[in-house]
Amino acid sequence: MSQELLKNVLEAVVDGDVEAVTEFTEKAVAAGVKPLEILNEGLVKGIEVVGERFAEGDYFLPDLILGAKAMDAGISVIEPLLTSEKRDFLGKVMIGTVEGDLHDIGKNIVIMMLKSNGFEVFDLGVDVPSKVFVDKVKELKPQIVGISALLTTTVNKQKEIIELLQEEGLRDQVKVIIGGAPINQAWADKIGADGYGEDALSAVALCKNLLGIK
Amino acid sequence: MDFEFFNETELEQMHRATVEILTKIGISTLSDRLKGLLLDNGCKEQGGRILFTEEVIEKALKTVPSNFNLYGRNGCELVIEMGKQKAYAQTCVGAPSVIDLETEEKRDATLKDLEDFAKLADALENIHLISPVFPRDVPQEIIVTSETAATLRYSSKPQRICAESSHELPYIIEVLAAAAGGMEALRQRPIAYIEVSTISPLNSGFHPAEALIDIVEAGIPLGIVPCPMMGATGPVTLAGCVAQHNAEILSSVVASQLLKPGAPVVMSPRVTFMDMKTGLGLWAMPEQGLAAAASAQLAKYYNIPSTVTGYSGAAKVADIQSGYEHLYNALLPALIGTDIIAAAGSLDNCLISCYAMLVIDDELSSVIRHTIAGCEVSEDTLAIDVIEEIVKTNEAFLGHKHTRKHLRAGAFWKPPIGDRSTYDSWAVNKMKLEDKARQKAKELLATHEVVPLSPEADAEIDEILKKALKESTNN
Ligand code: B1M
Repeated sequence: MSQELLKNVLEAVVDGDVEAVTEFTEKAVAAGVKPLEILNEGLVKGIEVVGERFAEGDYFLPDLILGAKAMDAGISVIEPLLTSEKRDFLGKVMIGTVEGDLHDIGKNIVIMMLKSNGFEVFDLGVDVPSKVFVDKVKELKPQIVGISALLTTTVNKQKEIIELLQEEGLRDQVKVIIGGAPINQAWADKIGADGYGEDALSAVALCKNLLGIK
Repeated sequence: MDFEFFNETELEQMHRATVEILTKIGISTLSDRLKGLLLDNGCKEQGGRILFTEEVIEKALKTVPSNFNLYGRNGCELVIEMGKQKAYAQTCVGAPSVIDLETEEKRDATLKDLEDFAKLADALENIHLISPVFPRDVPQEIIVTSETAATLRYSSKPQRICAESSHELPYIIEVLAAAAGGMEALRQRPIAYIEVSTISPLNSGFHPAEALIDIVEAGIPLGIVPCPMMGATGPVTLAGCVAQHNAEILSSVVASQLLKPGAPVVMSPRVTFMDMKTGLGLWAMPEQGLAAAASAQLAKYYNIPSTVTGYSGAAKVADIQSGYEHLYNALLPALIGTDIIAAAGSLDNCLISCYAMLVIDDELSSVIRHTIAGCEVSEDTLAIDVIEEIVKTNEAFLGHKHTRKHLRAGAFWKPPIGDRSTYDSWAVNKMKLEDKARQKAKELLATHEVVPLSPEADAEIDEILKKALKESTNN
């Protein structure tokens, strides 16, 4: 019975079906399946299948987003029950688009990919002043700060943020990754970023790499 | 020549969908000026969004000019007749990188590139309007002002400017006025149109909205150029994305007319799409060209001048792929009818500008304009008497005056660089089109002379740049 329900949860995540995930997760809870088991054997396994299918070329970005949404729906059912057993994230990442820049499509895809890969992600939005980046680092204490900039006129803000982090003595406490259409490795090296992501997949690989996750 | 993308019923459906989007979903904005303008004129606020009414939309659509002209500065004879759907070609704006003409490698765009692209476009007969690459080596606080000035110095052709924010606008307009011979002269004979990018879906933001108002108030032609991506910031379906986009653009058209009835505006649809594997923004074929054709037909339906992006694709070098992508994406909307086709010289989804590609796009622009000029059907062109005469006399058409006359009048299109020689004469150098394009770019850059700005205008522009830099770095 509980195996069957876990399978249902897993399949519903693979289908990206929010209603079904909610329903089966609730049923599993009612049937006495441990929340952590639902999480690991149902929800997380489901999103792993989604990731595999994406890597194999059968799934596309919308499948990833819908899968992540479905997983989130299941998590919100069991979260209140997980009090003592903290959810294991791969790491904590904070991302925003710099001041003067309104481009957010790429940043949002990166966030979605990080989430579906098991990272906890905080989104600062667009047009974010450098000082806010720094304040948020103090407040949220992420392991990685991601800075997106799409305009050649705003890429300098990435540099400014890194300098501010330095001034505030925070630079050693966080890894900084950057991205956006005009960004390349040379720029990342020049401003002393810890890495640059050409696209969302490489951004995920980069984050794993920086945190020493295989 | 008469082509349509939507039939009459579909066109009506597209318009009704646009109205439904504007009246039910409306737009958002952070600009109190735009909000005030719309609400004062009968729009309503609901849940933080501004909803239009059919009356407001209709009233505004009545006052939009169906045509107006753009001009070059001193030394330019070109008159851009907006509204006549002549498919003028415009260079790509904003590329952060270029393909170096010597090394053929991709590198950051510099001020020298901006100047060279402007000069090359000035020399190319079938490129009509200039929009700049984005140089990395100018003070970024006044980048658009610097670009405008540099473009004016290296080309006399009309310009298309993209306002990045509202703060630089006063300087940009001053620079244009200096070149045009004063503010009034600029209004009478605009040498540029300025575009704002609102944000999809249906958000006019703060800067785009403020810039829109400032441009209309200054009396300069306004362009509206949001850029939704099918499946990301607009529906994945072409009809849905075009309808949403049309509503976004119309919302700004309406605002311009409420502010100043009769103000010249341009609809600049840019429906792009996304690679669903990588998330890359694509300006490739066929979706880009189809959506441009569909949107252009809507602008035509409203009798409002339009521009589309046509000279674009995903290819990374000037090659066969970039050639067919650009031709496909540009020809489709040109056949439907549009005024300006943008992004000439672009590669890599408008992220790279390439000298060789600009020369190739000049060739494409030439054949596209030749195509849409259509075919005259008259007694003279039907030439029945000539046929009769030739058949009866057993002569050849080759020796008839009718042939010579029409050949001289341009009956056949002449490719500016495309090869049509015999195999043997081609085999002497075995040059590919890309090589010829590079060679022509180098030749033109070495020999072309741009008519200079008047010394007074030049000096005045210098002063404006100095002032702009001082004021922008002070605060
Ligand atoms: C932290 O770690 C990481 C790691 C990886 C990261 C990362 C962070 N962030 C991104 N990545 C990476 O992963 C992502 C997924 O693969 C990738 O993200 P990307 O963002 O690169 O890719 C996205 C998934 C898809 N791509 C995009 O979303 C950008 C597409 C293009 C077409 C684009 C769009 C859509 C828009 N624009 Co704008 N726009 C262009 C773009 C041209 C292009 N072909 O890229 C570009 C960037 N825009 C430009 C310009 C000039 C402008 N835009 C403007 C406005 C807009 C719209 C509002 C219309 C819209 C943005 C809507 C939105 N919600 O974001 C204006 C500026 C507004 C402002 N102040 O920000 C305006 C000034 C006006 C204009 N139209 O010309 C050009 C920049 C020129 C330059 N040299 O700086 C431009 C290259 C187009 C061009 N050729 O003119 C990677 O870069």
